Amino acid sequence: MNIELINVWYRYSKSKDWALKEISITFRSSEIVYIDGHNGSGKTTLLKIASLMYRPTKGFITINNKNFWSLNEEKKTLFRRRVVYVHEKPILLRGTVLDNILYGLRIRGIDIEEALDISLNILSMFGIDDLINKPIQKLSTGQAQLVAIARALAVKPDILFLDEPFSNLDKEKRKAVINILNEFQTKGMGIVFSSHNIDIDGLSRYRRIVLENGVIASIYE
Amino acid sequence: MKAMAEIIDTILRSIMVSGVATLMASLWSIPLAYLFVFRNRGSVFIEAVIETLVGIPTVLLGLLLYILFSSSGLLGFLGLLYTPQAIIIGESILVTPLIISISYRSIRGIAHLYYEFALSIGANRVQRMRLIVSQSLPGVVAACITGFSRAIGELGIAMMIGGNIKGYTRVMTTAIALEVAKGNFEEAIILGIVLLLITIAISIAIKLISRVYVA
Repeated sequence: MNIELINVWYRYSKSKDWALKEISITFRSSEIVYIDGHNGSGKTTLLKIASLMYRPTKGFITINNKNFWSLNEEKKTLFRRRVVYVHEKPILLRGTVLDNILYGLRIRGIDIEEALDISLNILSMFGIDDLINKPIQKLSTGQAQLVAIARALAVKPDILFLDEPFSNLDKEKRKAVINILNEFQTKGMGIVFSSHNIDIDGLSRYRRIVLENGVIASIYE
Repeated sequence: MKAMAEIIDTILRSIMVSGVATLMASLWSIPLAYLFVFRNRGSVFIEAVIETLVGIPTVLLGLLLYILFSSSGLLGFLGLLYTPQAIIIGESILVTPLIISISYRSIRGIAHLYYEFALSIGANRVQRMRLIVSQSLPGVVAACITGFSRAIGELGIAMMIGGNIKGYTRVMTTAIALEVAKGNFEEAIILGIVLLLITIAISIAIKLISRVYVA
């Protein structure tokens, strides 16, 4: 799967300033991309546009050479199911950890037994299977972040977009998450994450895009 | 003994009348609140109108309904004046803006967040709406509780179009007013305490229900 942003500009409805300008870039399955930039540089906006949530004010988004925003609602949903975005501040549903992991699977029509298997596996990978029946109000911020990432991975998207996924995690947990992400990438999943000032081993292996004031300042392949 | 039976009868009638009024008001107020959030147009105007109506004096509403239900009024032929049904209609109208206002604010507060989340995980349009509805349910329940509290503690409408008829339209608030006027403070205080306890008990019960609710 390829998501191509062609000369994308974005302005929030109540703002006069452009949050993104002249963005042309392609995100693909099977690669890890790291988006770097200061606060307010446009990282979150870029991720939300690339993950098919926000419609660009100007420019085009094509997926496998199809203009996404000209598709009907049904086709849009089909593409959206192949792409998942994880918010910087984890948004969890009321209920337990399991309810949250199941949600993405159930809306895709996966039957409950298979969904339970997938949920248990993914929670085990993250080492948080003991939290399965824990109400989300009782999770720490770090645990909530892990649940949100696990929930996204459970549906096995073609490309996963993660907004500051390490911001609430300690160094050990960061390393564990990076290892899991690497594992999914080797199985063909594309992973795009934003972050700044992070200390992760092997970061230089990933394609790095640096944003400054809403424009791509540099790309390191 | 007879006095106690009368008090219990009044309490039960109050709960029934306010409960039905709140239920009726919820039937149209909750869908309207969701509609206002999802349409997302003219929100400033809608908020202004609803908030103005929240503060409408109950005596004014009672007067308008009295004119409407009186024998020479537009709806006089229905024979509703001085009936429990008239109080139910009046209270349901009274609490409608309140339920809409509180529901609207609570839904609007989370709708954007859960809409984005649902979009981000691949929910279709119906699933997105369902998610927002399920996640906003505690706020909506809280709005109904507030509506019930307002209805059960209301005096003006119950007095003006209910008439405070013993054993028929007498509710706790009108009974309290009558007992105070008669100088029977003991009965008035009992009813006042019961009124307070009912409101607190229902609030606690429904909050507990909404806490264990799983999306």
